Amino acid sequence: MMSLAMATENDNLRIVQVWHGGKFKKKLSEMGIYKDSRIKVIKNDIPGPLIVDVKGSRLIIGRGQAQKIMVEGYQNG
Amino acid sequence: MDKIKIALAGNPNVGKSTLFNRLTGMRQHVGNWPGKTVEKKEGTFQYNHHEIEVVDLPGNYSLTAYSVEEVVSRDYIVGEKPDVIVNIIDAANLERNLYLTVQMMELGANLVLALNMNKFAREKGLKINKNELSELLGVPVIEIEAVDKTGSDELLKTIVKVSKSPNVVLDRLEYGNEVSEHMEQIEKIIDQDIPQLDAPSSWIALKLMEDDPEIIKKIEETGKGQRVLKEVKKIQRHFNDVFGDDADAAITDARYGFIAGLVSESVKKPKIDKVTRSDLIDRIVTHKYLGIPIFLLIMWFTFQITFTVGDPLGGYIEEGFAWLGETLAASMGEGFLTSFIVDGIIGGVGGVLVFVPLIFILFLILSILEDSGYLARAAFVMDRFMHKLVGLHGKSFIPMILGFGCAVPGIMATRTLENEKDRLLTMLIVPFMSCSARLPVYALIVAAFFSAYQGWVIFSLYLLGIVVAIIVAAIFKKTIFKGMSAPFVMELPPYRIPTVKGAIIHMWERGVLFLKKAGTIILALSVVIWALSSLPVGVEYGSQESVTGQIGTVLSPIFEPLGFGEWQATVAIIYGFLAKEVVVSTFGTLYGIGGDGGGGEASADEAPAETEEETAPEEDPGFIAVMQELFTPLSAYAYMVFVLLYIPCLATLAAIRRETNSWKWPTFAAVYTFVVAYVVSFVIYQGGLILGF
Repeated sequence: MMSLAMATENDNLRIVQVWHGGKFKKKLSEMGIYKDSRIKVIKNDIPGPLIVDVKGSRLIIGRGQAQKIMVEGYQNG
Repeated sequence: MDKIKIALAGNPNVGKSTLFNRLTGMRQHVGNWPGKTVEKKEGTFQYNHHEIEVVDLPGNYSLTAYSVEEVVSRDYIVGEKPDVIVNIIDAANLERNLYLTVQMMELGANLVLALNMNKFAREKGLKINKNELSELLGVPVIEIEAVDKTGSDELLKTIVKVSKSPNVVLDRLEYGNEVSEHMEQIEKIIDQDIPQLDAPSSWIALKLMEDDPEIIKKIEETGKGQRVLKEVKKIQRHFNDVFGDDADAAITDARYGFIAGLVSESVKKPKIDKVTRSDLIDRIVTHKYLGIPIFLLIMWFTFQITFTVGDPLGGYIEEGFAWLGETLAASMGEGFLTSFIVDGIIGGVGGVLVFVPLIFILFLILSILEDSGYLARAAFVMDRFMHKLVGLHGKSFIPMILGFGCAVPGIMATRTLENEKDRLLTMLIVPFMSCSARLPVYALIVAAFFSAYQGWVIFSLYLLGIVVAIIVAAIFKKTIFKGMSAPFVMELPPYRIPTVKGAIIHMWERGVLFLKKAGTIILALSVVIWALSSLPVGVEYGSQESVTGQIGTVLSPIFEPLGFGEWQATVAIIYGFLAKEVVVSTFGTLYGIGGDGGGGEASADEAPAETEEETAPEEDPGFIAVMQELFTPLSAYAYMVFVLLYIPCLATLAAIRRETNSWKWPTFAAVYTFVVAYVVSFVIYQGGLILGF
């Protein structure tokens, strides 16, 4: 388990935990980032925000926000 | 002819506006939702003897109470009960889009699903079985392409049909045993205690479990909600104990679970994700090192095009008004009324309308950039800078860029920022971006004092504006807007080729707001300024004896420490509040510089000053001489700095007033920018004196 901010490009990831509170957690889940959802890292240039693929759409996530999203790798398939 | 009321709903960037524009054409009305700063678009069209009224609901991802847009949308669905809701869905992004669909189903909405961008979905290798999907959801699913006519007729036919026989879909939703069971418990109590609610009780039950503040308030207001609310609390605790997560998360999971089921039945996905064209472009455009140069290049082109095309057009308008003023003055003769019309109305409103072409062209280019998906990339690219320097995220950068053209659209563009604090802060610093109206002022003064270093002096002012904006933002962030910056998450829409119609409508919508302003507030203020310059009766327009002149004389000592204590300079600053470029024409008027090139009093009597200023005073040797008498190079620079930073023009303040819905912020903006301008000019002038300039 690691934070999303540490993931490398093209990693397939499963969300383990979202350490965000109420409103933002809700917003993330509406956009497809919630516990157990699967995402893929498209871009992770330090510093700067990340781009991830979520259910076929691309989301920009601030680096600070990504640090509070815990993920783990899984094999595609 | 019978009437059908429909609403368009969908996520952002799914082609909702495109469809709305296609359906209604120019027969649309843009206003605000009552009491909100959210845009409301309405329109009508006719189809087969039906008059169809369309409301474009704000684009959103959900129907919670967390953003104004969402509240507006759901209040409309609950309160206005449109006959049909057309849910536009990005077929390439079906799963996420269905999240909103599910929530509208919960509300008992009468839905038609319009699958848009099917080409793009096919490109990605997705095969959607729309019959299967329609079967599972219990609502019609139509394939359309919002940009052309594909599916248009079928969609309209279905809308009419569904308006006659609504779909009942509440029972299609499945949340799994755990959630459903508790939902039913609450539902039962609601039905017993408060049966007269206007939304389905199953929806109320869900919202209560989700801790929706608006719904809780509504239930409390009925006075009969104690039993329900108590039960809800109990269930929420149960979820926390059993699953270690709140009921809210469990419901989100349940919805996505339901959607995943739908998608696995009705969509065939490719084994390996295909790399789309959009991804290929993004590899370059959002590249770590290339991203910023590309962004700067695009901005450079934007301004180049705006000024190359817009300036001459503005010139024609200027000439047109000058001609109008002259003609009127000639035919009406000299007198109070002539002065009122020529100096007051034409001078004031005309001075602002000169900028209309610039603003429209800038809007057009920005609409194209926005519709193509580039602006979202710009936000991405600029985020790291904005974060470090100001503590705002990349999205705030877009309004600031617009500010270089005109602060009014810049302030309107802050609507895309969700966090109220970030939004206010951005609004307060946008006016420091040196807008196009300030350029003529620089041109005038630079020609008189710094002809050898023109470019550098003007560049230094632009830079100063940015530096001041950054410093002020950093200070505000630590004081009045203390607290966390809004978390940054936004969708990166795939690139699209913008439609001509869409871009033009977009430009028009925004531009018209500016025109309206010129027609109302600016007109009114022009009259006031004219009156102050003409009274008491009998004085020469704008002379020292006029009320304006007297005000200038009284206030001018304030500016003495900044190096420009002459009453004329003060008057120009007062008028510059109307629109910054008016500073130039004010100098023209006050010094009576005219087309004869001689300067002096004579020309001021010949014709109203506004008609003279087209002779470009900065090229007039007499005028330069007068300016050099009035200013030293140092005080001239301090004056330019003051003009750059002081109180935003009237149109900008009006925009802030409109966007914040209060007088507090425009007042604050006026006061603090004045203080900032005063301090910075003071430091420059006094510092310069010490250094011996």
